[in-house]
Amino acid sequence: MSEMTSLERVATTLQFKEPDRVPAAPLVCGASHRIAGVSYGEWSSGDDVDAMVRGHLDGLKLLGHDGVVALVDLSVEAHDFGQEVIFPEMNTAYPNYDNPFIKTLDDYKKIERLNPKKTKRMKSVLDMIAGIAKEVGKTHAIVGFVYGSLGVMSMMRGPEKFFMDLIEAPEAVLPALQAMDETLLEYAKAQVEAGAHSVCYDHLYCSQSILSKELWEKFEGPSIKRLCDTIRGMGALVSLHNCGNGIYFDMSLKWANPHAISHAYVADDVDGWEEHKAKWGGKIATIGWIPPGPVAMLGTPDEIEEECKAEIEIFSKGGGFILATGCEYPPNAPLLNARRIVEAAKKYGVYR
Amino acid sequence: MATAKEMELIKRLQDAVINYKVADAKKTAEEAVAAGVDAYTVTMEGLAGGMEVVSQKFDTHEYFVPETLLCAKALYAALDVLKPHIKVQAGGARGQVVLGVMQGDVHDLGKNLIKAIFEASGWTVHDLGRDVPLQKFVEEQLKTDSDIVMLSAMMTTSMVGIKKLIPMIKEKNPKVKIMIGGAPITEKTVEEYGADTTADNAPNALREAMKMLETLRKGKAA
Repeated sequence: MSEMTSLERVATTLQFKEPDRVPAAPLVCGASHRIAGVSYGEWSSGDDVDAMVRGHLDGLKLLGHDGVVALVDLSVEAHDFGQEVIFPEMNTAYPNYDNPFIKTLDDYKKIERLNPKKTKRMKSVLDMIAGIAKEVGKTHAIVGFVYGSLGVMSMMRGPEKFFMDLIEAPEAVLPALQAMDETLLEYAKAQVEAGAHSVCYDHLYCSQSILSKELWEKFEGPSIKRLCDTIRGMGALVSLHNCGNGIYFDMSLKWANPHAISHAYVADDVDGWEEHKAKWGGKIATIGWIPPGPVAMLGTPDEIEEECKAEIEIFSKGGGFILATGCEYPPNAPLLNARRIVEAAKKYGVYR
Repeated sequence: MATAKEMELIKRLQDAVINYKVADAKKTAEEAVAAGVDAYTVTMEGLAGGMEVVSQKFDTHEYFVPETLLCAKALYAALDVLKPHIKVQAGGARGQVVLGVMQGDVHDLGKNLIKAIFEASGWTVHDLGRDVPLQKFVEEQLKTDSDIVMLSAMMTTSMVGIKKLIPMIKEKNPKVKIMIGGAPITEKTVEEYGADTTADNAPNALREAMKMLETLRKGKAA
């Protein structure tokens, strides 16, 4: 088989067919600020979209991966909705939990529908996607990113209070989620219009780590369905990200019907990766699952190669697999380790 | 042996915690104080007993984070009433821990669940909060002579501080045990950073702490 472009490689595997080799996409997102030569704070602020585009494009040349994921950090949406965010120079931006936007149940009413194209940071992500798509949209997979409304809202209320509100005061939470979901829907559409081939929706709380299936369905099921149906209707692919433990693949299938899930752990209804491949491998493609901390960051070259080889052996047959870290590539990890992941895909992931 | 009244109050406290009935928990605790029953007994058997059931439900995925947080809310509502009436020495039956989230990290959900479960089980918890400077852990351990220091990190950027912190703590007190936890932490991190153990959730953290405390106390007795 002649060598495919990265985009063809990714598209083929997501159709559960075998491309020339296993695609590799080690989710080098925030770490790209180091390639662009700007501080993490400058990168996350969205003030310099040219640097963000350059960071990703140079990252592709340097590391050789097959796709770009347009995650800046998880605070983008919350910030635009009004949450105060702290931007450390050398660390991931985060909400100021000492000053939550939603301090009382009444404050949920302050959440209003936004036009993402008229915001600060969501707009910068849209511009970044457009800039990347202009340069490599025909050769590489470009995946947009939307942090799900449950995740965004938890950043604006503080996770503990938010989780308790879900049970104690659902009538206060639901209208706010609806306003937010309208915005996120427009945001996802705008990402596709900007050139994303897929939009990745982070449904972190759809896992045993956090919520019961019933509670997750009640608050996020219908909205994720509408968003994912819309993305599909626009001709783009639907992907999900969830780095929680025991992900509800059945719920994900029921409500989002995704082409792929980027994940770090197996589904809640299987025991081990072989069983996961057997049960879910032909239905939902896996993007994963190299452990970011112990392997991508702390692993020796041999350990990284061994991990990649083992994952390829379990998951590559029949396509439906992209070799990646189970969560974002650690922003402070050696960049050479990301290249080793790509090299391992080339060495062990060739289909014959 | 507990009296009939104590037994009734214990059962009601257990039910209030398990079913996350905050008002019931507070009211029952007030009744217990008014009745003059032993506050330590109803705390340990009622609140801790209830929280033990909650831990089991969490382990078996009957309860998740929201339910467990609400159980902890009920627990604290009662504990706030009972605590001033408990006549035991700090760190008496169980041990003492210093607990906090590493510098640069504000993810404190797991840390707070651990605090609730440990306090319910009779441990004295010195909670330093989130985004804690490294030196603060060292100072607090020395000040309180705690048996265990528990460090939480949810990001690789904050996790790296653990590598620096453990020698700082051990230099001042080589016997202290260190437990680390959070999303990026694995057995490999424990080994590489020189920690003593890790746990992937609050009930497991309690089990690990009990084991370490037993080891420490055997060492002291020998």
